[in-house]
Amino acid sequence: MADATMADATTTDATTADATPVRSVGRPSLKRDTRSGTRRTVGFVLLHVVMIIGALLMFFPFLWTIITSISPGAGLTLAPALFPDNPSLAAYLQLFTERPFGQVMVNSLLLAVITTVVQLFTSATAGYAFSRLPFRGQGVVFAIYLATMMIPLQVLIVPLFSELKAFGLLNTYLGALLPTFATAFGIFLLRQAINQVPRELDEAATIDGAGHFRIFWTIILPNIRPALATLVVFAFMGSWNSFLWPLVVLRSPELQTLPVALAGLVGQYTTQWDVVMAGSVVSVLPMLALYIFAQKYIIQGVASSGIK
Amino acid sequence: MTTIPAVLPAVDEVVQPNAPRPSARRGRSRRARVTYALTVLAFILPSAIPLAMFTLGPMVAAAWVSLHEWNLLAPMTWVGLDNYRSLLADPRTGDVFLHTIYYIAGYLPLVYIGGLTLALALNTALKGRSLLRGVYFLPVITSWIVVALVWRWLLNPSNGIVNTVLEAFGIAGPGWWSDPAWAMPSIILASAWKDIGFVMVILLAGLQAINQDLYDAAKVDGAGWWRRLVSVTLPLLSPSTFFVVVISLINGFQVFDQVYAMTGGGPGGASQVVVQQIYDLTFRYGKAGEASALSWLLFAVVLFVTVIQIRGQKRWVNYG
Amino acid sequence: MNRKLVATAGLAACAALVMSGCAATPSAAPAGPVTITYSNFISNDGNEDNLSKIVDAFEKENKNITVDVKTLPYGDYGTALQTDLAAGTAADVFDIEYSNYASYQANGVLAEIPVDNADAYRGTLLDAYATDGKQYALPSSFSDVVLYYNADLFDAAGVDYPTNDWTWEDEKAAALKLTDKAKGVWGDHQPVSFYEYYKALAQNGGDFLAKDGKSVAFNSPEGIEAAKWLVEKSGTVMPTIEQGQGTADFDTNLFKDGKLAMLHTGIWVFGAVADVPFTWDIAVEPGNTDKASAVFSNAVGVSATSKHTEAAAKWAEFLTSSDTMVQTRLDAGWELPPISDEDALATYLDKGAPANRKAVFDSLDGIALPPVVAKGQTEMQDITGEELVEAQAGRKTVEEALKSAEKRINAVIGG
Repeated sequence: MADATMADATTTDATTADATPVRSVGRPSLKRDTRSGTRRTVGFVLLHVVMIIGALLMFFPFLWTIITSISPGAGLTLAPALFPDNPSLAAYLQLFTERPFGQVMVNSLLLAVITTVVQLFTSATAGYAFSRLPFRGQGVVFAIYLATMMIPLQVLIVPLFSELKAFGLLNTYLGALLPTFATAFGIFLLRQAINQVPRELDEAATIDGAGHFRIFWTIILPNIRPALATLVVFAFMGSWNSFLWPLVVLRSPELQTLPVALAGLVGQYTTQWDVVMAGSVVSVLPMLALYIFAQKYIIQGVASSGIK
Repeated sequence: MTTIPAVLPAVDEVVQPNAPRPSARRGRSRRARVTYALTVLAFILPSAIPLAMFTLGPMVAAAWVSLHEWNLLAPMTWVGLDNYRSLLADPRTGDVFLHTIYYIAGYLPLVYIGGLTLALALNTALKGRSLLRGVYFLPVITSWIVVALVWRWLLNPSNGIVNTVLEAFGIAGPGWWSDPAWAMPSIILASAWKDIGFVMVILLAGLQAINQDLYDAAKVDGAGWWRRLVSVTLPLLSPSTFFVVVISLINGFQVFDQVYAMTGGGPGGASQVVVQQIYDLTFRYGKAGEASALSWLLFAVVLFVTVIQIRGQKRWVNYG
Repeated sequence: MNRKLVATAGLAACAALVMSGCAATPSAAPAGPVTITYSNFISNDGNEDNLSKIVDAFEKENKNITVDVKTLPYGDYGTALQTDLAAGTAADVFDIEYSNYASYQANGVLAEIPVDNADAYRGTLLDAYATDGKQYALPSSFSDVVLYYNADLFDAAGVDYPTNDWTWEDEKAAALKLTDKAKGVWGDHQPVSFYEYYKALAQNGGDFLAKDGKSVAFNSPEGIEAAKWLVEKSGTVMPTIEQGQGTADFDTNLFKDGKLAMLHTGIWVFGAVADVPFTWDIAVEPGNTDKASAVFSNAVGVSATSKHTEAAAKWAEFLTSSDTMVQTRLDAGWELPPISDEDALATYLDKGAPANRKAVFDSLDGIALPPVVAKGQTEMQDITGEELVEAQAGRKTVEEALKSAEKRINAVIGG
């Protein structure tokens, strides 16, 4: 299981930067090995350069997306210039006036927020049950839960489609939401996190007369914040970026989500790449904001799940 | 789709759970036991109901549908195992599995070696590594549709930036996604770019769990950088590696969004993968029965591959 | 957050109520104002404004009916319609193609449309969408495929313009002379697809389907020659698939850039190439042993689950036979109206470029209709295209590709 040092190393980058992680790629701490110091420094600078070039290459497609989105008429004949002659936000305007992108963003946001909140609830309760409430057949039930990870939603598209049709839920938000309410991943992540909360805390609370519900709410949840933050990012991301199910279940244009609307833009505006790229930029921003907010928890959250 | 289900390290725990056995509860009063049972239900049902209704139920229903001919419009008719027979007779079934395996074979080494390199580099006292991590992670949080759009644009055969740059060096760039031979490599390239940051995070978490004393000991023995990587880092990183491999395989067999948005399975079916075929069979050709049969075939393959890996893990995965 | 959840649940419940409500009272007469939905591909990529004109005229005439238009690209339309029909969310009125009519009708998704002015339509077109004496769809247009050419490129190469009497030989000879790879100029473009193939087959005196319609007949000497005619253009007079050939709008863009001398495509492209800075015209497509031009007909159907069948039928009829539609289509060169009035159609000849509009009607002297099967239409079309592309990309010989296509298609459409 993850030990505390690992979590510390990630959350407090600045303070531990030259302590533990350094040696893992073999850069000796300078105190102990001064002979090869110069060579190491050169190598270290080189590493910076390589990583920065790599990052630029990584970032280039995004940069290109942004440039294209502000180059009017991009893609009609040739690729846009790196510095467009007459940058304009016309494509963004077109998105929100000629196309229902305002509505589309609200739809995506609504679905993502509901999915995230419900997943937090179902994952935390199940995680608590598997960690703190032993019952007969628990191992089997947990194994079945885990097995559902191997069943992708894509594989279930036909029966899910007919099931929701029978409920009259096709073309409704609820129909798009229901299959996303519980995921084995979330349950597993939170169970692992809860396992690491010291049981002494529960026992102390029990002595004070607290029941399971109170322990869950006042002891467990506050102690698994990094895992909750990680789940928020992944649940939100899963919903925000999901494509196939919303494509199939949300049929009316006014219910469409961002990825589906974006895919639709391509077919209709085969030559208007500025509009398509503006839509892409718009779709990344909310995820980016969420990532920046939760960034420091992610590695810690993954680490605490015992995947190492 | 959530992409980091962490099934496998947990499988061992299913077999040897660390929680006390239920028998420990014997001897409580009847009323206390009822209260306890109700508490368990209250905690388990919020997740059990959706999983049963929207995953396990449909799974069973798919098996039932796979024994029928059904175009989703008219009522279904029983055809027994005909759908499985026609799937096995259709050369496309083999093709879509081959294309899917081709995808995995290209994608997995690329994303693992890339992710490992990044993780090793970012596990040092690099300046600004939070920012660097953020940049490398950026594609992970981006929708596949956006990534596919951007890469289609970058790899446009006639005026895309990649071929324009290649041309400047006197190289005639390939037709990328418009060429049957290059369609899958284009998808692999875009996929590796997108997922490399995710692999990096998993491996970083693994690297940071490695006990530093082992490195010190190795150094005392005079082991160089490469030697330490091969005999300390990689063996101790094997659980993370195992996780990445298993998850990449499960997700790899389910590859769809990028194919749909980048090539639509074309040109001429050259990049058609299993899930896209399930989708086409259902909604393009009106063959929901055959699609369900293919779903089960896919599930069987994924299960088989995963079980093989769990069995094989003892040979190379070091849980220390 | 919970409030939103409740709101969503409420929304779903409402939707369910509306659905069951509609089932109880089908096709009630539209007392108050109604909104009907129309899902189409025919206006995509250039004719959106023309469709709006027709919608506006209809709404003006029928104050209590609003038409809500949803336009999809042709490539996505078929799958979307199939999904909507399965989900029960199909538009009140939707486009269909002639080749899919039979299967939709057989599956009961089309409502019968009462026709008041049957005489306004071309009889053959109207009959194509009737089953057992009942009308289940109305033809919205017809069109054919012609040979477009860039006259400036012909002049520069000193090649005579195509005529209605051209054969494959003439086309090939001209294409070779016109191709100048150094300048990036190509002589000819014809998609390697199902639609071109069944037509080339007819031009070569072959048949796509056997008489019983349950197996294919194209794996024949005529069929092989026709497939080679298409496939072998690639790389000699036409860009290869590696160069982007076959991707959406590749051919029209190449033509518009002045880099393509001849182009096989439908008259629906008139609008898209109207403003090119060079002289262009059209001719009847060359044949080999026979003359055969592809004729397509689109139609609109009324959904069997529509809540407003009466208003929907009204719109369907207006869209397919009103004077506004006739004028809009003729003025814009947006395919041809499916009308019987020959005098109105004759005005089409004088509506500007291309000069030789007569070729559009001359093409009708020898026509090739798409082969239609009872089951597996889309799959048959996809398999044909896939196998031909295999041959084009050099991964199979033409003979192997046709043999494989024959086997696969027979498995789909037989029995």
